[in-house]
Amino acid sequence: MTSAAVNGSRPVAIHAEGLRKQFQLGEHQSLLRTVRVLAGRGRVDPTAGFVALGGVDFSINRGESLGIVGTNGSGKSTLLQILAGTTLPTSGEMHVHGRVVPLLAVGLGFHPELTGRENVMLFASSLGIPREMIKARMGNVADFAELGRHMDTPVKRFSSGMLSRLSFSIAMQFPADVYVFDEVLAVVDGEFEERCLNEIDRLRSEGRTVVFVSHNLDQVERVADRVLWMHQGLVERFGPTHQVLEAYHRHTAHEE
Amino acid sequence: MTETNIQNRESAQESALASLEWPVERVIKPAKRRLKVRHLWRERPIIQVLASRDFKVKYKQSVLGPLWLVFQPIALLLAFLVAFRGLADVQTSGVPYSVFALTGLTAWAFVQAALTIGAASLVSNINYIRFTPCPRPAFPIAAMIASLPAFVVTGLGAIVAAAIAGRLSPKIVLLPLGLLWLLLLMFGVVSILAALAVRYRDIISALPFLLQVGLFLAPVGYSLPELSSTVRTIVELNPLTGVIEGLRWMMLSNYEVPIEPIAISLFLTALLLVGGWRLFTRLETTMADDI
Repeated sequence: MTSAAVNGSRPVAIHAEGLRKQFQLGEHQSLLRTVRVLAGRGRVDPTAGFVALGGVDFSINRGESLGIVGTNGSGKSTLLQILAGTTLPTSGEMHVHGRVVPLLAVGLGFHPELTGRENVMLFASSLGIPREMIKARMGNVADFAELGRHMDTPVKRFSSGMLSRLSFSIAMQFPADVYVFDEVLAVVDGEFEERCLNEIDRLRSEGRTVVFVSHNLDQVERVADRVLWMHQGLVERFGPTHQVLEAYHRHTAHEE
Repeated sequence: MTETNIQNRESAQESALASLEWPVERVIKPAKRRLKVRHLWRERPIIQVLASRDFKVKYKQSVLGPLWLVFQPIALLLAFLVAFRGLADVQTSGVPYSVFALTGLTAWAFVQAALTIGAASLVSNINYIRFTPCPRPAFPIAAMIASLPAFVVTGLGAIVAAAIAGRLSPKIVLLPLGLLWLLLLMFGVVSILAALAVRYRDIISALPFLLQVGLFLAPVGYSLPELSSTVRTIVELNPLTGVIEGLRWMMLSNYEVPIEPIAISLFLTALLLVGGWRLFTRLETTMADDI
């Protein structure tokens, strides 16, 4: 895989074309309208609602890592939700090659009453990992997270740093082709952050694809080959890490 | 086991994983539905883990734990004895009242557990719905499985009581079929309630009330011949009536069951199952946005 990487003929890992996502604004939608839409009468008004993604195009190759930057509400998380397969776009397409391990929030999918160990089983199963494999790697997860004897404690007693450690360790111990990280290293200490960034380097060297969202631009610079800068649901810039981050720096400095 | 053995097994699993999904290209685009019934089979592992979680979580930090499974039907039986037997003097076609009530409570214990865990199964897993690709039908299905112990515990009580009263029927071997029927019916109902609760939390608020009313609109603590013809028609339209009477017929000897409620219930089971699946898969595509 590395030889293919060198001669630049890497296959595409993720390809997005005209990706749009529109949300209905407000909390309530009348029952009557829902019934109408379900019955096939009455259409959802295409102009109403909030446009989270307004036509996004980008493409990254296998073994590359993509950094995504942008302010809150710029559409980063929606993009990742579509990539993870939790929600569908309103129009446009995304092509994803291979298995995705999405880590879209810290401690996501953990049940507070269950122990660390039980939650590893739960979360890894939700990613489609076979039970035997989870059991076999339970020790590795605990070791990487350095949670040792806390693995038998209900996670409601975990600190946010401990939850991040556990989330990240689970993602790292199971094979996938595309790894997605959304702000998962925001609350961990420097030592663990360093180990995680090294792990991400390892994934890249193995030819796996990494998508990394962070407000910490140093982390993005360290991890990403290319950066996608999102602004108000659109791609502001997409290109080599260095160039895009420089422009982003100038832009944010200007805003302030 | 030797080190190499473990490694072989792991790499076998890894290649199994790889051949399963890689290098498959997934196209994510707008769709009305994306799930097929056949997709459910490969989701067995997560369904199993979710079911054991639902069951475990129910009794965490609880002193009595699963003993609650025993107390609930006993408490209901005592209440029935006071209300239906003591006050109303309900007749039960020659079956000792406690035996009659326990056979009805077997189905009811399951219905109550399945509705309670199931209707909230999506709403209470908001993180999973929003952030993981975990297939949504796994949640109501896991709720069904986590409710099975309620059926088993009460069912064993009913069987023992029937045996003591000398009314245990050899038809008891059909009980797994009866349970399957109950499971399919409740899966239909729970799919509808859980999917709608994602948008309308009213479902969750209405549930305790629905359960209270349901207990009296089904022949759990009384028998059908006791009812006036109008009331009986209403009760026979309840899809639960046929299943409850069917299960009772399987457990008790010399117990006659009219065909109408059975037919109605079978028909409604098919309707609710197909309709529930259609509604669920239709709403499933936007659950992460609506929840």
